[in-house]
Amino acid sequence: MDNKLPITRISKFFGQDDFDLHIRMGEEYLHGDLNMKLVLYRVDRGKTEIDDVYAEVGTDEIKYFPPVEFNGLVKIEEPKNSSYKGGLLHYNEPGNLIVSVYMKHLEELNIDIRYGDYIGYPESESRTRFYTVTNDGKVVSDNKHNMFGYKPYYRNITCSPAQDTTFRGV
Amino acid sequence: MGIPKKRKTDIQIYKQADGVARRQELLDKITKSDTYLPDTILHDDLDKGFLEYVSNTFKVVSDGTQIPIIDKILTIQRWGEFTQNWSFSDEDNNMKLPFIATIRRPDVQFGTNPSVQRTIPDRYQIYYAAVPNWNGTTMGADIYTIPQPIPVDVTFDVTIVCGKFRDLNKFNKIVLKHFASRQDYTIIKGHYIPIVLDKIEDNSPIDTIDGRRFYVQNYQFTMLGYLMDSDEFEVKPAINRLFTMFEFVNQNAVSKKFISKTVDIVTSNQSAIGGQTVFNVGEPIGTLFTVAINGIIQTKDVHYYHIAYTSRVTLAEPVPDFSVVTIIYYKGKNSIIYDNFGKLLKVNTEIFTYSNTINFFLKYDIKSIVTLDVNGMVQTEGESFEITGKKDVTLLGTPTVGSTIGITYVY
Repeated sequence: MDNKLPITRISKFFGQDDFDLHIRMGEEYLHGDLNMKLVLYRVDRGKTEIDDVYAEVGTDEIKYFPPVEFNGLVKIEEPKNSSYKGGLLHYNEPGNLIVSVYMKHLEELNIDIRYGDYIGYPESESRTRFYTVTNDGKVVSDNKHNMFGYKPYYRNITCSPAQDTTFRGV
Repeated sequence: MGIPKKRKTDIQIYKQADGVARRQELLDKITKSDTYLPDTILHDDLDKGFLEYVSNTFKVVSDGTQIPIIDKILTIQRWGEFTQNWSFSDEDNNMKLPFIATIRRPDVQFGTNPSVQRTIPDRYQIYYAAVPNWNGTTMGADIYTIPQPIPVDVTFDVTIVCGKFRDLNKFNKIVLKHFASRQDYTIIKGHYIPIVLDKIEDNSPIDTIDGRRFYVQNYQFTMLGYLMDSDEFEVKPAINRLFTMFEFVNQNAVSKKFISKTVDIVTSNQSAIGGQTVFNVGEPIGTLFTVAINGIIQTKDVHYYHIAYTSRVTLAEPVPDFSVVTIIYYKGKNSIIYDNFGKLLKVNTEIFTYSNTINFFLKYDIKSIVTLDVNGMVQTEGESFEITGKKDVTLLGTPTVGSTIGITYVY
């Protein structure tokens, strides 16, 4: 069993109860009022067979755990007009998806979001866009991710859009 | 140990043509099932030919599916690119990865193919073929002439965009296999066009951490093509009928003899008729020694003219009928004279004034006497003079004191 060190800093003003209260209020707003739902497709790295040399996987050869729905604060960046070759071969790439999610929420769902996992976000009734995790936001030591310097409480997960040749939902 | 995965089924049993036969085979291909003239080949033909070459050659199979090849040359016109209904676009109308695209550099340079480069100036029309025709009555022919094709170097970029390293390897293997001997060939409208691999470069945005990542590799090729425009071809009627008439005045009018066994010096005797001024020996005259009319030596540029290395001698005035014109010459297209053993010879003329001796001592060893004249009258060897030593000539008769003796000889 891992050792646990109680956090007692700023205890004259702020404690675990306050921390939990703020999380609950935030979840009430995020999960209840905003209710932004996403679907996480976690890659089963144990069952997925990879190339011996390049560790690459062919189309439709990635194995996934069952998809899990979760809530998060969604921010999608503006699309970028780009080209593959010197101004030719244009493509209009959707912007990155940045999801802010409570760490407590992930713990309750007993899931983790890792680099390379896929996240589906329904843009409309008929269109779900898929993203692949490019930054799983596990490093939360900074002040921004701390609640008043007490403890980190959320993660920012950055995802880039995935073409349907890479992933098109399970 | 490497074991062949496939049984080879395309072994060439019959030997392919090579050398001249192969050249003829290529020429036949150019005009196969068509007119006798080659097909027009211009920029768009070269572009289309390259596209077909890429489509047929660079087939890469990824995960059981061939990587799509865009069957158009991509240009900068946005409308043209955006309205293409690519069959392999996603819902955002972005091309799905992987794919292969062909881009042509807009600047087409003058060609570097040495076989067609600036060898015939000024777009000169050259003979291509004589094509028989039939006008319902007589058989004739047309002469087809074309200018030399204009060589062009067309640069193409073949770009593969994909997400797997293994696809890059497959594509690279195919390209390098075809260009292991530096160049590969394609046939465009019957023309055999070489393609050279210039360079391979990687433009992959793999340093993008948060963005989408993919591989972009560029293969630059130069097509050593040429331009042929059928508007510049010319078809001219050839001579359909030729009426050739020969008139023989005297069968013995022209006679030739060799005056030496070791040097092929020719004496041509021709009988003049009808105020004739031009006398043709029928072969190029390398060195013209003597022109004489009825044995009287004529002076060059006074009595006769001769353009160097041509076969004709033109006299200044018409020669009286039945006069014998003697032309002594050495055949050749230059003034160098060899004996029959390949030894280089020289010609010398020496002039003597007769006093009392009939022996004449020359400067060099005599190889052969070309002419000996007394006061301009050509003498005959054996009748009028003899060679009596290496450098000695002896007259068999006695000329008048003060006569001029001219001896032309090779040594």
